[in-house]
Amino acid sequence: MSMSRKAIRQALTIARRDFIATVFTPMFLFFLLAPLIMASFSLIGGLGASSVADSAGSHERLVVIADPADAKLIGRVDEQLRALFTKDAMPADLQVESPGADPAAQARAAIDRSGYDVDAAMAGPIEHPHIFYGNGATRSASYLAALAEAAVRARAGGLAPKSIATRTEVKRHQASVSGQHAAGFIAVFGVFFLTLFLAGQTVGTMAEERANKVIEILAAAVPLESVFFGKLVGMFGSAVLFILFWGTIAAQIGHVLPPEAAQAIHDLAPAVGWPAFIVLFCLYFTMAYLLLGSVFLTIGAQATTIREIQMLSLPITFTQVGMFALSSAAAAHPGSWIALFAEVFPLSSPFAMAALAANTPGLTWHLLALVWQALWVAVMIAIGARWFRRGVLKSGGPKRKSKLGNTVAAAGEATGQIPY
Amino acid sequence: MPRLRSATVLDFARTERGNMIVDSAYAASASGLVKIFSGRRVVDGVDLAVPKGMIYGVLGPNGAGKTTTLRMLLGIIEPEEGERMLLGRSHPRDASDRVGYLPEERGLYPAMRAKEAIAFMGALRGLDWKTGRARAVEMLEAAGLGHAADDKIRKLSKGMAQLVQLLGSIVHRPELLVLDEPFSGLDPVNQEKLEKLIRAERDRGATIIFSTHVMAHAERLCDRLAIIAGGRNRFEGTVAEARGTLPFKARYVPHHDDGGIGALLPADAERRDDGWSFTLPEEGIEALLVRLIDAGYGIAGLSIERPSLHEAFVRIVGREALEEQPA
Repeated sequence: MSMSRKAIRQALTIARRDFIATVFTPMFLFFLLAPLIMASFSLIGGLGASSVADSAGSHERLVVIADPADAKLIGRVDEQLRALFTKDAMPADLQVESPGADPAAQARAAIDRSGYDVDAAMAGPIEHPHIFYGNGATRSASYLAALAEAAVRARAGGLAPKSIATRTEVKRHQASVSGQHAAGFIAVFGVFFLTLFLAGQTVGTMAEERANKVIEILAAAVPLESVFFGKLVGMFGSAVLFILFWGTIAAQIGHVLPPEAAQAIHDLAPAVGWPAFIVLFCLYFTMAYLLLGSVFLTIGAQATTIREIQMLSLPITFTQVGMFALSSAAAAHPGSWIALFAEVFPLSSPFAMAALAANTPGLTWHLLALVWQALWVAVMIAIGARWFRRGVLKSGGPKRKSKLGNTVAAAGEATGQIPY
Repeated sequence: MPRLRSATVLDFARTERGNMIVDSAYAASASGLVKIFSGRRVVDGVDLAVPKGMIYGVLGPNGAGKTTTLRMLLGIIEPEEGERMLLGRSHPRDASDRVGYLPEERGLYPAMRAKEAIAFMGALRGLDWKTGRARAVEMLEAAGLGHAADDKIRKLSKGMAQLVQLLGSIVHRPELLVLDEPFSGLDPVNQEKLEKLIRAERDRGATIIFSTHVMAHAERLCDRLAIIAGGRNRFEGTVAEARGTLPFKARYVPHHDDGGIGALLPADAERRDDGWSFTLPEEGIEALLVRLIDAGYGIAGLSIERPSLHEAFVRIVGREALEEQPA
């Protein structure tokens, strides 16, 4: 058997053990269903926030002090203008009131009205209205100004449309820039989210071998590089299982998405095309997992206690968020120097290249990037194994001092123990 | 002791991708191994030559450098200086599938079942899982642990777990079995089982290297042995040769004893129980006995004792190093 086949066989033996040890435990079920917990809390939080927003929205008004002659016209124009807004961007409800002795004072006083919030109030002739608005409600003030303008025009020319347009929806044959950018961001976020969720697990995997003192058996039989790679593959297997489980569910949910959400997905347009994009996304997730996982595994392998491993979670999260921020900037500015840096820097490369697949056609750079990233996985594993061998797999330690300490010192003896 | 740089006439070397492969009479050999930790030479030029098919003991007090030497021999750690040859390979890793190893620090995955743990250790050495499981069950039954084949390691006693690990180190039928302090932590019954198992492995054709600081096991088992102390070789040879480093002892019991007898006995004579113990004179004991009889002390008892390996070990290593050992 060639050395490479032997190394692969040994790595797969380690991977098999780790995969089984991870998946066939009650804790894995808890891990698998963790997104449900997250989704539940998000749902509760979202409902709460939505309820608060709805409640606040129903207590906001725009007030127009207008003669009864203008009131009807303003109401009709308001209806026409509101058709241009989405639900989320809709201005507050309009309330038209008859003018008193001093309409300007009446409008100003409306801002301080109790019972509901008046964002902006308008008084005076619609050719020269006076608009009052509360703190920061410039958008509401602008809407009232536009309303007055449209009302003046309608009074002069009537409400009937002057231009009759023919509308024809045309499907783009080329990906739109916004669709590409959206796909780029989703690619970066998707790879980030999955690695954030899954790659951090590798940090504690060597701790098991150290705690159980199995490491010397493994190290005697298998090169440490194969041990490290096997552990990565084993954990990656459990990550893939996780993704397959939730991917299958997500695919079913896709069929019952509301039309707006389905349209949003439909509008995504990766530059390399969907089939190539999906393949590249999977490959870049694999590389991101292996790259970040190998770094975390290397660092975690040096930890001697559970506490040390727990303390590593913060720098790990920061590293991942840093790579995400860098790659998001790259996705937003394709072709820029920051994009180039993110694409070349090993730890951000998978994220940034996934964004590149969404933004720029062509596959050649992706082949090079995958080779580059695979090279760095090998480098990280080699460094990790060497570091582990030097730092952990060694005999010797502080000399034991006793009444015969000098004799021992002269003999230069080692303790013969692995300092676990 | 053979040096690798000048291989013996039994060694026929060829190279393959920079890896020297030697058809050698030795299962394992090392020349001038040096390991430095934190500036300290914990192994300082150790040589070993382990003939094939033998039980070879690596003896030394605690901290002598035995474990580090074995780890370097197996390729777990790399020496700073020196060369190794394991089953004819200059890169020990290349022979790893033909080697079994029981480290001093015992370790198994607690959640694994006994037969899976054995099969796993075999799989690491190239044995397929199906064969590994089948052999595991056979071996566990032969060792009286058949009932525990499907038990998880965490449910086994320490001695049972240790036996499972030992079986895991031989499940792939290695040509070379390296056992680091295999008897530590075992009760007398299991120590005897282990001795039988080591002999059975030798009878199967395997070479066994084991380290120990307990002389009784070495005395009973070893065909050859090396004594290491302070990271250096102190002795290499058979048990008889080790004992031969000390002269025979005579134990003499007179019919009656008084202050004058000491003047007739050799200078190193020590009173022991109801008699005297002293080194057998080089010219023989006959002349001394004649003098004792003529002086009227007579001979109530006389025995010639071979020095034990323990005594030889103490002499070779130095009493100070032994007294350093924890109780």
